[in-house]
Amino acid sequence: MRHISHSQLLSLLDLVAKSQTLIAPKDMGKGHLHLRPVEDSSEIVFEYTRTDLSAKEMVLPHTERIMRFENRSGEITITDLFINKDQVVFGLRPCDAHGIASLDSLFIRQDPVDRHYSKRRDSTTLVGISCPQMWDSCFCTSVGGSPTERKHLDVLLTENEDGYFVDCVTERGEMLFKNIELEEVEQTRMSNVTLNDSVPVPEDNLWPTVFDHPYWQQVGARCLSCKLCTFVCPTCRCFDLRDEPVTSNAETVVHERIRTWDACTSPNYRTIAGGHNSRPQKGQRIRNRFYCKFHYYPVDYGAEGCVGCGRCIDVCPVNIDIVEVLHNVDTLLRQPATEVKEETR
Amino acid sequence: MIDKIRSVSRELLENGDVSYVIGYEMGTRGGTRPAIISDAQDVEKLVWNRECYANLTTFLHDYKKPSRRGEDLPRVAVMVKPCDSRTINVLLAERQIKRENVHIIGLTCGGMMAEGKLREECLRCNIRTPIVYDTLIGDPPDVDVVDDMQDVSELEAMTAEERLQFWLSELDRCIRCYACRDACPGCYCTVCEFDRDDSLWIGMQNELPEKHFFHTFRAMHLAGRCVDCNECERVCPMEIPLSLLNRKLAKEVRELYGFEGGMNTELTPFITVLADGEVSLI
Repeated sequence: MRHISHSQLLSLLDLVAKSQTLIAPKDMGKGHLHLRPVEDSSEIVFEYTRTDLSAKEMVLPHTERIMRFENRSGEITITDLFINKDQVVFGLRPCDAHGIASLDSLFIRQDPVDRHYSKRRDSTTLVGISCPQMWDSCFCTSVGGSPTERKHLDVLLTENEDGYFVDCVTERGEMLFKNIELEEVEQTRMSNVTLNDSVPVPEDNLWPTVFDHPYWQQVGARCLSCKLCTFVCPTCRCFDLRDEPVTSNAETVVHERIRTWDACTSPNYRTIAGGHNSRPQKGQRIRNRFYCKFHYYPVDYGAEGCVGCGRCIDVCPVNIDIVEVLHNVDTLLRQPATEVKEETR
Repeated sequence: MIDKIRSVSRELLENGDVSYVIGYEMGTRGGTRPAIISDAQDVEKLVWNRECYANLTTFLHDYKKPSRRGEDLPRVAVMVKPCDSRTINVLLAERQIKRENVHIIGLTCGGMMAEGKLREECLRCNIRTPIVYDTLIGDPPDVDVVDDMQDVSELEAMTAEERLQFWLSELDRCIRCYACRDACPGCYCTVCEFDRDDSLWIGMQNELPEKHFFHTFRAMHLAGRCVDCNECERVCPMEIPLSLLNRKLAKEVRELYGFEGGMNTELTPFITVLADGEVSLI
């Protein structure tokens, strides 16, 4: 196993920041870490659990300007606004990389390929850091991940006292270290992370049997219908596309096509032209979120819809806890004739 | 208090006085969470402690329409702390709820705790008994706090440019998840300006100008209506100091019009009422 010292790593990151966009955990105030572009290694925070948002936004940004339509006195032009730069995402956790691998199943591995996603993905190098522990809400090991999982990353670093063990998973990862002399050390694997109790995750084909259970109305009753759980989620990928006015006067009309994240938990997500909303109740919407994670997405795209990062558990203002929901669905499936409570909404 | 809360709730549900009781239950990872109970057997789940933060009146908006067309409006009981009770007055004044459809279980409160200390909003609050209630539970505890408005004064002492920079750096963390809006009992528009498909006022980009506009717009709409329950700030995953913005506006309204949202027993909404002589009726 190769090893890099702290100071070597810092100079390497400084070097990377000069030639490509370096994205790393950055303090946005009050200790909130976001993955943001940094000028050099001094802006990077190295001690953290996980960033507030997952690395999803590096390949599927919250906001993306797609194209511009201009009508200048009858002369119409269309401009492609897509900008793509080589980027190195440093400091994501293995679950974040797992999330990106899940997104690949939809955006790349299936026709039609999403051009922007795919180009951005091709120019992204993922340098992850093993988790030193599983935190309270973590359950990656129950959904096919692990605190030291390497396979979805280009490079996996694992911290020890005087630096990091370097595990280059892909050729792209190897390229980053090509001009740097790394020390060879004896140690092979260094994981002694205590794992959290495993969470029962019902098989995807079992979920339809409890679709109509009143349980979903009960969970939904306290949902606030905000977008928080979906925005922090590494695998929630719904987006909205709109043409927004930029300039509008007698001679010139300019619109831009914008893509932004959307959320199935928000009330108007399913509203269609004419005003009909096929998921008007909170219970229907929260059910959709869980079914998307554990039934629709695995069945349709063959990938995990949840990577067990635990972010939604930490941020939900009303404690809708995905681990509790999994336990409850597991119980419902074992006892199909459990008491049916009066419907709440 | 909890025995009384449970017995009152049980009685209301068993007698058919209400269809739902909105209270607190234990969460999965410490703390409490909202509980919406329709079965009298479930009242044992209800709890009351120093971590009952949520302002439950926000859930009253879920029961403003009958669950099925043609049915009667459900009658709902809701547990309120003194601050939350002020939102009841706001919602009544704004004709959002009907007094006869809500049974208010008022709970006296000495402030909620976080990490062994009184929460920030509770350090500013001297109301110990709910302003409005049907059943009052508990004796008002003797807790005296002084709101010196220091953070608001500090904000006011800044130059306009400093203030702008302060807010922009705080708001840059916003992810437009709308948890603040959705937790707020005062934010109940059927179609929020920010959810409109036609982007009339604001685009959907998550850039600083949009974040800035969203929060300023929301704060202006809450001026004179915000009761400083601080739910917006509590639910914000990015710890944006929203209450500072709201309290600055509350202060302006108090000083200019002598009005405090939800404190008046005479129910008048702040914005839509004009004083005598300001409008001539035909």
